[in-house]
Amino acid sequence: SGGTGALAQWLLLELQGEVEPRQSGDLAGSLLGDLHYTREGVPVLIVGHHILYGKVVQLEKPFAVLVKQGGASQPSPEEPQGRYTVTALIKTKLLFKTRPKPIITHVPKKV
Amino acid sequence: AAMRSRAEVDATLQTAKVNPEELLPVVQCLSFGPQAGGACCLLQLEPGLCAELEAGCSLVIRGEKDEHAVLCSKDKTYDMKIADTSNMLLFVPGCKTPEELNPGPASCNISHSQIAGFSKNYWELRRCRPKLKKLRKLLMEDPYEGPDSQKDQTSTFSKYTTEDLLNLIQASEEEILHQLQVIDACKIEGYWRILDFDYQMKLLNHVTQLIDSESWPLSKVPLCACLEELGSLEPREMIEHILLSYGRKYVDDGEVFFEMLEDKICRAVAQMLLQNAVKFNLSEFEEVWQQSVPEGMTTRLDQLQGLALVDKSSRPETIFLLKVEDLPEDNQERFNSLFGIRQKWTEVDITPYIQDLCAEKQTVGALLTKYARSSMLNGVKVYNSRRPIS
Repeated sequence: SGGTGALAQWLLLELQGEVEPRQSGDLAGSLLGDLHYTREGVPVLIVGHHILYGKVVQLEKPFAVLVKQGGASQPSPEEPQGRYTVTALIKTKLLFKTRPKPIITHVPKKV
Repeated sequence: AAMRSRAEVDATLQTAKVNPEELLPVVQCLSFGPQAGGACCLLQLEPGLCAELEAGCSLVIRGEKDEHAVLCSKDKTYDMKIADTSNMLLFVPGCKTPEELNPGPASCNISHSQIAGFSKNYWELRRCRPKLKKLRKLLMEDPYEGPDSQKDQTSTFSKYTTEDLLNLIQASEEEILHQLQVIDACKIEGYWRILDFDYQMKLLNHVTQLIDSESWPLSKVPLCACLEELGSLEPREMIEHILLSYGRKYVDDGEVFFEMLEDKICRAVAQMLLQNAVKFNLSEFEEVWQQSVPEGMTTRLDQLQGLALVDKSSRPETIFLLKVEDLPEDNQERFNSLFGIRQKWTEVDITPYIQDLCAEKQTVGALLTKYARSSMLNGVKVYNSRRPIS
């Protein structure tokens, strides 16, 4: 259900390829990267050794983020049945489609 | 792990050779939240659904294990399909667009957001016809035959409440409630029931005989008098129900009346006559039919659309029962079934049997183009199957 309060608005980030943790272990808690915007409003994402330039896109068809009620397993395409709570709406996405520019690093500066 | 500092961000910018002067002052450091990869998924919304959700309405995904899942809003039903993208979709609460970034105090130049989840796919929706055939099927498992029937006490069949139907039928609540009205279902002791056809005819008969003996006009049948006169024969709720099913209720000068529905009553009488034989001689049937309907009503063959079919090729012409609600719900199966009954159909004859298949804004013509092939027979356009029928 939508709930009585106003629905939260989240943002979608669309990236090419896979996102993998640097160290072994799962992703929870690990850093993705820094999100900047240029003064013209172009999103710039620095992920690992890559710079990604993207653009802000207003979605023609917004998304709803659904959470299956009853905790349990991840809703799968094969068994989507059930009651869902709409946690948030997504009306905007940051689309990073350009090929990432690798960052050539030297020894990282000690802060 | 400690949260990233502004100094670390600046160091990264320097290594990346990005000029901080070209950027807005605030950086958003994104990390994966503890629940990332959990039970979240994305649903692409069709027009109207977004507004409904913001207004606080619910969505339910329905379907048994052997059914394709559908999504139901308050009043519409949608087929669901997984769309794969080759990209990674990350959803981030609290992440801001350039316009949303608060040009606040200069000291606030870093924020931290957690990625709530990510996915490579999302669900797409396509509006579809509600799957209502099952509703009639469930209620026909145990039609109500009246209070005198022994069946109800000993019945082992399931009975269905509104809640039960909502869980079992792949349609929105509004579509289900509307369909219950269309099929003249009623609530008896909290359960939705369809009246057994013979019981309906028995009730209708009481009413039409009373109308006749009281000489009431067919357009002005008083509810109170009916309940009083017939209340000793049948339960009052049933008398009222049959009046609601076969009449149009209105109020005149504070009193409730019914305008009896000629077409619906004639149609019911036809069904009663036709269900007892495989087929009838058409002219004999038309005679008996006219004699069987209430005084003052006129029978017409077009009242039987979707109920009976005339065979004009036989000598003499015949008529037989063919109820559209007995035919398959799936488009291709429906057409296969129809072409199995008759090889060639005119548009006029087939329309009542495919009308209900039309999606929003789809015409019968479009369906025929897709599922049938046309040809000319004796100067008349006819449709037959696209594929050979064995």
